[in-house]
Amino acid sequence: MSGLRRWVFALPVGAVVTVAVIGPWLAPGSITAPVGRPFEPGGTAHLLGTDVLGRDVLARVLAGGRTLVLQAIAATLLGSLAGLSVGIGTARTCHRRTAAAGQRAVDAFAAVPAVLVLLLAASGSAGSDVVVAVAITAVSIPFSVRIIHERTSRLITTDYVCDARARGESGWAVIRYDLLPGIAPVALAEGGIRFVAATQLAATAGFLGLGAGAPTANWGRMVRENSTGLNANPLPVIVPAVLLVVLAVGMSALLDRLAVERAGGLEQTGQLA
Amino acid sequence: MCAVTLTVLSVLVFWATDILPGDAVGAVSGPDATDAEREAVRLALGLDRPPLERYLDWGGGVLHGDLGTSMVSGTDVTDIVGARLEASFAVILPAAGLLLVLAGGLGTWAGLRAGSRLDRALSGTTLGLIGTPDFLIATGLLLVFTLWWPVLPAVAIVPLGQSLWQQPELIVLPAAALALGGFGSTMRLLRACVVQSAASPYAEFARLNGVRGARYVWTVVSNAAGPAVHAFTIMLAGLLGGGVVVETLFNVPGLGYELTRAVGTRDVPLIQAISLLLGGATLLVLLAGDVLVRLLDRRHPREGQP
Repeated sequence: MSGLRRWVFALPVGAVVTVAVIGPWLAPGSITAPVGRPFEPGGTAHLLGTDVLGRDVLARVLAGGRTLVLQAIAATLLGSLAGLSVGIGTARTCHRRTAAAGQRAVDAFAAVPAVLVLLLAASGSAGSDVVVAVAITAVSIPFSVRIIHERTSRLITTDYVCDARARGESGWAVIRYDLLPGIAPVALAEGGIRFVAATQLAATAGFLGLGAGAPTANWGRMVRENSTGLNANPLPVIVPAVLLVVLAVGMSALLDRLAVERAGGLEQTGQLA
Repeated sequence: MCAVTLTVLSVLVFWATDILPGDAVGAVSGPDATDAEREAVRLALGLDRPPLERYLDWGGGVLHGDLGTSMVSGTDVTDIVGARLEASFAVILPAAGLLLVLAGGLGTWAGLRAGSRLDRALSGTTLGLIGTPDFLIATGLLLVFTLWWPVLPAVAIVPLGQSLWQQPELIVLPAAALALGGFGSTMRLLRACVVQSAASPYAEFARLNGVRGARYVWTVVSNAAGPAVHAFTIMLAGLLGGGVVVETLFNVPGLGYELTRAVGTRDVPLIQAISLLLGGATLLVLLAGDVLVRLLDRRHPREGQP
């Protein structure tokens, strides 16, 4: 892909992430206090109009992305880290049975629908954004482990890794200098896919009303709250929805481009969500 | 193997709903309850007993088909689940059928003409669908078909004493939303299967021998059946999870709708029963897919199969 086309996808994604992260500092006025009648259309006073309770939509849009993006980023980083350590660990272990049992457990956990895990975690301790992030991490780990495990098992049989081992290099040196450079591209692509899935799950959690309670703003929840007023003012539904779509679709398009260049399609690096 | 996995699943479900902080006591006794009242509720619910004992009690009940009673409505959980199951099926089965036809047809078509304009257009569309969360697809459909072009009802309100099956217009939107949600990834997987099969020596041999038209398509498709079945079972399992979101949005009185409601009211026995059922169903679907793939592989012994 030419540099230009990469930017076409990367710029919107970056813009949405930036808006999400610094948005809460920019929010004009209160995000919880009503400023007018419900579902006033956008205008000069309130650029995007008001929502179901007459609150300023612009302020809520600016404030509603940070939790979601931070949840997704935290879940992706933690999940990738866990995936790397467990994946490399199970691929390097000499205990065939332990490795097989580990794979089996990972497969079993991967079979549980992600939404179900989210709901279960939320029923255990309601109203916590951290629990949602932990649940998303838990959902993403099995996929990361599987991909990293496969990649490492393939690398570990290469001649240069065998050479390094025969030279008597320590386990850490082999991982650091022989395995990680080969795993890195796969792990990066995998992390990107997990980020897309994590964004979707975080938004779905907001949509279902999990995570922090009602007055806080959340793009996922905004879509649900304001869907009754689509006739009067569609902006409180459409703006968060468009932001979410740009983030997720832009990211997956970017990944797909990169994957096509390297190996040939998303299918190679695993399936979404 | 499946039994072990199911046991692990039941432990997870029980642990998440029963042992984590914020148990049912707070939900049942209300926020203003005194400590003495909370203790009384705890005793009445039997929550003072050790977790292991309660788990065995619950697990034993499940094995005998007794899922306990709902903490909120006081009715038998088995009855609630039974009543909800039908509505879930009424949405999931048409969605699965729709997906089978759409993803199967378009996946085969795009796979046979890999690199064509149609293939690239479909690839872009599916990428967009994969990236869009299910609930946005569903909301989008709702927007289009109830507001801008109002031909379908927005929420499924089933008249008393009738089942969802008798109201096909209520099923259309939820089923379509569910199908579209799974369409992207399924079509991509199927396309990849067909591309791989069309590139195999087997298909090339057929081409060189002048096999054309429907017979050639059949040659390629039947050769791709194993991985395709696998893709479909993953899709079906995904529908079970996606159903939760779609049912909640369209107020379809199915299992997923009941689950989100139960989570809202902290109705622990109901959450446990539905989670176990959904998780178990997903595992069974995946297992059935694996068995089917094995059988297909045995029927078509091919070289170079792992």
